Amino acid sequence: MAEELRNKLREERTRRNLTQADLAALVGVSRKTINTVENGVFIPSTVLALRLAKALRTSVEALFQLP
Amino acid sequence: MESKEMVELADRVSRKRATGTAVAAGAFLLIQLIARPFFSSMGSVDARAADVWMWSANAIALLIGLATGGRLAQRREVRALVNDEVSRQHHKTAMMIGYWVAMVTAMALYFIPAARDLNARETVYLIVTPSAGIPLLVFSWLEFRSLRNG
Repeated sequence: MAEELRNKLREERTRRNLTQADLAALVGVSRKTINTVENGVFIPSTVLALRLAKALRTSVEALFQLP
Repeated sequence: MESKEMVELADRVSRKRATGTAVAAGAFLLIQLIARPFFSSMGSVDARAADVWMWSANAIALLIGLATGGRLAQRREVRALVNDEVSRQHHKTAMMIGYWVAMVTAMALYFIPAARDLNARETVYLIVTPSAGIPLLVFSWLEFRSLRNG
């Protein structure tokens, strides 16, 4: 089964006027992690998904959806 | 939470590491391809000791780099950012590709008639050279890809 996950990370980040580096600093990861998640290249772990949702003050379900 | 400066520093360190890895692995493979310092001809056992040691030292250094991800002269927090979830995934992918390169090369040498006369040392050379170099190039490419489109 091919893994695929839609995400609204870029929309949520830009809505809050954050750069990738800003969000990376908030979450405690590198900018490349934010970049690869936004581009759908990397599927984050549950822990990272929860941290992203917390940093953007939203829910994991609002950020990530199955196709 | 990390500072933005630390995230930017980690970005630069990641880029430097990817560049260094690509240059080291690319040079290693290119030298073997062009100069063939150790394996000069099929069936040859007359490799010079200096060439053998040079190849061995380079291959071991690359394999150590591949196994450990390289030692970074940075603070622990920066190292943690550089080796975060994405880089660890890239490292796993590179290791897996290295394994398959080794398996495919070994099986090819087993079946190709021209490889029947190779001695053990030459066979090891032909398996280890691509298995050490290619995964590092893959790791570099994955790292570069994750760093672009900022």
